[in-house]
Amino acid sequence: MSSTLLDAPAPPRQEIRRKRRPPYLPWLLLSATMVLLGVLTGFPLVRLVVMSFQEYERAQLMGLPAEWVGFDNYAAILTDVDGFWTVLARSFVLMVVLVVVTIVLGMLVALLMMRVGKAMRLLVSVGLLLAWAMPSLAATTVWGWLFDTQYGVVNNLLTKITGDRWFGYSWLLDPLSFFVIVTCIVVWGAVPFVAFTLYAGLTQIPEEVIEAAQLDGASAFQRFRLIQLPYVRSIVTVLVVLSMIWDLKLFTQVFVLQDIGGDRELTSTIGVYIYQTGMAQGHYGVASAIGVIFVIVMLAIAYPYVRRTLREEEL
Amino acid sequence: MINIRKRLADTGFGVLALMVFVLSAFPVYWMVSTSFLPNNRIRGENLAFFPTPDVFTLDNYRAAIFSPRAPFAPAVLNSIGVTFLTLVIALVVGFVASLALTRFQFKGRRTFIVLILVVQMIPGEAMIISMFRIIDGWQLLNTIIGLTLVYTAGVLPFTIWTLRGFVNGVPKELEEAAMIDGCSRAGAFWRVTFPLLAPGLVATGVFAFIQAWNEFVTALVIMQRPEAMTLPLWLRTFVQATQATNWGAVMAASVLIAIPAVIFFLIVQGRMTGGLVSGAVKG
Amino acid sequence: MNKNRLVGAAASAITLTLALSACGNAGGAAAPEETGPGEVRVWLVGTDTPPEARDYLKKTFEEENPGSTLTIEEQAWDGLVDKYTTALSGSDAPDVVEIGNTQAAAFTSAGYFREITADEFETLGGSDLLPGFVEAGDWEGKHYALPYYSGSRVVFYSKQVLGDTAVPTTLDEYVDTAVDLKTDDLSGVYWPGQDWYNALPFIWENGGYIAEQAEDGTWDAGFSSEGGLAGLEQIQTIMTKGNNAPSDAQETDLQVPFCEGKVAFLSAPSWIQWSINAPEKPEDPDGVPGCASTYGKDLEGLALPGKDGGAAQVFAGGSNIAIAQKSARPDLAMSAYEILLSDEYQSILAGIGLFPAKTSLFEKVDQSTSIGKAAAEAAANAKLTPASPKWADVESKTLLQTAFSRIAAGEDVKTIAEKLDADIEEILNS
Repeated sequence: MSSTLLDAPAPPRQEIRRKRRPPYLPWLLLSATMVLLGVLTGFPLVRLVVMSFQEYERAQLMGLPAEWVGFDNYAAILTDVDGFWTVLARSFVLMVVLVVVTIVLGMLVALLMMRVGKAMRLLVSVGLLLAWAMPSLAATTVWGWLFDTQYGVVNNLLTKITGDRWFGYSWLLDPLSFFVIVTCIVVWGAVPFVAFTLYAGLTQIPEEVIEAAQLDGASAFQRFRLIQLPYVRSIVTVLVVLSMIWDLKLFTQVFVLQDIGGDRELTSTIGVYIYQTGMAQGHYGVASAIGVIFVIVMLAIAYPYVRRTLREEEL
Repeated sequence: MINIRKRLADTGFGVLALMVFVLSAFPVYWMVSTSFLPNNRIRGENLAFFPTPDVFTLDNYRAAIFSPRAPFAPAVLNSIGVTFLTLVIALVVGFVASLALTRFQFKGRRTFIVLILVVQMIPGEAMIISMFRIIDGWQLLNTIIGLTLVYTAGVLPFTIWTLRGFVNGVPKELEEAAMIDGCSRAGAFWRVTFPLLAPGLVATGVFAFIQAWNEFVTALVIMQRPEAMTLPLWLRTFVQATQATNWGAVMAASVLIAIPAVIFFLIVQGRMTGGLVSGAVKG
Repeated sequence: MNKNRLVGAAASAITLTLALSACGNAGGAAAPEETGPGEVRVWLVGTDTPPEARDYLKKTFEEENPGSTLTIEEQAWDGLVDKYTTALSGSDAPDVVEIGNTQAAAFTSAGYFREITADEFETLGGSDLLPGFVEAGDWEGKHYALPYYSGSRVVFYSKQVLGDTAVPTTLDEYVDTAVDLKTDDLSGVYWPGQDWYNALPFIWENGGYIAEQAEDGTWDAGFSSEGGLAGLEQIQTIMTKGNNAPSDAQETDLQVPFCEGKVAFLSAPSWIQWSINAPEKPEDPDGVPGCASTYGKDLEGLALPGKDGGAAQVFAGGSNIAIAQKSARPDLAMSAYEILLSDEYQSILAGIGLFPAKTSLFEKVDQSTSIGKAAAEAAANAKLTPASPKWADVESKTLLQTAFSRIAAGEDVKTIAEKLDADIEEILNS
């Protein structure tokens, strides 16, 4: 489809008379969005901010009037080094690891798909598609089963290979191996999308360019660095931004693995932490305040990106 | 000499490709294989690696589909309903909005774009309780419409954001050229721009699909009756059941929830990546 | 967005919040009550309630209330508090709910349950109802959740596995026997790491405590007290030297290793005897295979022995049951509630070895077998978790599960105990 786009004949450069459009038209087009987001995002957002200044617990959910507590919730969170700050730092470190591993592996797989023959490429595509299509809850459940302490195939194979007794070895109890498994699940599910997209991008590079470089004696690595990488750079940027958003919002994988048997305190990421504080323990005021702080942190980080977008919009 | 080296390299890369295949497909294989095995070959140290005819069984599927704890058929219907509605509403509403944001210059446009971006940073888990109160206030708990509304609001900002890139990617001049040829503005749009956007719509739709088909935390709160469960909630009842963590049935349930997703991805796969590339290159 | 609009939005949000609050307050008492046929939903948790009891409840209710229907919706213990918190506060709330006795306070204290008036309390059983469980469902002197059943843990064993080994008569002997019996293929005591209920007796028997409230109302957690540490040491000895169960597992499917003959002693709720004694090939597709013809045949029960002999103080497991404040049909809900606490219904529970909500029905529990006798001995010595509405948060944070998993993994007991105490105190005193 995109090739059609590239091949499309250049539009004639003639001046056409612009009709004046009614100024309300864009707002009309936006009206459905505004109603939906206003009611289902805007209003909850206002409530979120309001609740973050209240002592809002289970009793308030049943109708007891909430008490205003000013910045108490915020003060409690911001001074909670072992809780909030640790979770925040953990979420960011995990995000960086996940994004780097996903993008690097995705790129390698895409290059591999360029290199191998048609049959092999089809085989790889089938494998990737299966991994990609697996719903995250089902995927996490299956991985939990692979690493099951007692009956998991991983412990079974390790026992057969090493001769030691691996049955009963818990992969989830130790936070480090817990996150190794989380990384496996997330990367396994995310690489296909990255690889497919990069592969589609790489195939757009005209063959002559690569061939010419080859004749000039450029090594495979040089060809990658000087031709292929610059060509797909904008795609990589988009993939990195998307992966960052998704990986920071990581919830299902961590939540479900904790259920199967992890240490909640040492493995929670920000989404799970908010859920535990609010939904599980009923401290809705505190959970709301964490949400607000998180948005502020995100805004601070994303500020350059927002500004760049806005500048582009001015053009 | 060079030929031999090339052959060796080819074989090496072939082996690598095979490894990629095995690594990505193994969990899926293991899920399917387990789902056809009886419990005594799943647990215990004598694992069966393949459901050979002598041990092959459909019991796990029977247990999953006829579970008294959570009915399967309503869960399928609910999931399909919610996913379909979310997909359609998000695409239509999002598409219209993205047109407004790309093809028009108006006051407030930039603010709107920033808001769309900022909204995506709010952690959804913090909003669940407010969402619940709203949906409850409208008497829409345990209804497909209630859950669809929440999901649509959840995916809409991302949908608009992505579609905006795609619409930007289609040069305005194409439409203008068509208008010179006598098309109305709307006509030019439908005949020229819209077809070029199809891959973009598919790509964006996939994300709405993933969200609506996989989500379970909001569903947990909104869909509380057994007959209102979506598939992820249904799958969770197997994992959670305290007395019988029946791994065979859990895997059978996982297979059942994955099949529609695999079909959907098979259909859209080609279009989607193409769409994303053109969106990124042009956007 | 200009300032005025922002203020306006905030103001309307606040008004709405207040309006919603007002509705909430009025919900239970003042709303005009419907009469006539309707629908009642009962939430029972897990599979403890046997099918006969469910059928009886539905049948009796629909006979007594012609035209009305009763639906039982089974919930999972996992994430129960999360689910109830929202479900019971919504407009489509279930009518009657079962809740773990240790979780009840989180809801009674927040107005989730309908008050059981003194008159109703007398009709439903009054002083015949299990006192400890009644207390667990009280809040500020009023009744909200009444006992549903209790079932303390019993130690199961099969002579086929045990052989000539003597049955232990003190807690110390129990620990030693477990360690002696353990091989690569046999657990002396089968104990998955997350099972904290089974750990409490060791704390109590060694003179420790979970948490005690001082005069000024602050809580002091006692896992790191002298007795607490002694108990934890014993627990670690069993878990690491007498046990092959995974350190991170929950207490699910306990009958599976037992039926494989890989367990000498298994401390579990008394109803597990029916899972063990189930046929090898279950008729129900959802059923789990047992081993009626092998290890189920000579299944014996034993009350966990105490430090100085006799029965140990064990955790009083069980459930309470309550009517949701937001029930749309409190009249029908009460009708179902009366059946749930009736002698007939409770006798069915007694029939499978659960201890009924009323002390006068205890004799209905078959005590001719060693299992029944052990269950009665254990129940007589049962204790509860600290009576604080915040205790449910300790459970939903899975602090105990995690701590005991770590103990099972062989980590330092003192460090874990001190951390656990600090975490529990932080929650209870917040």
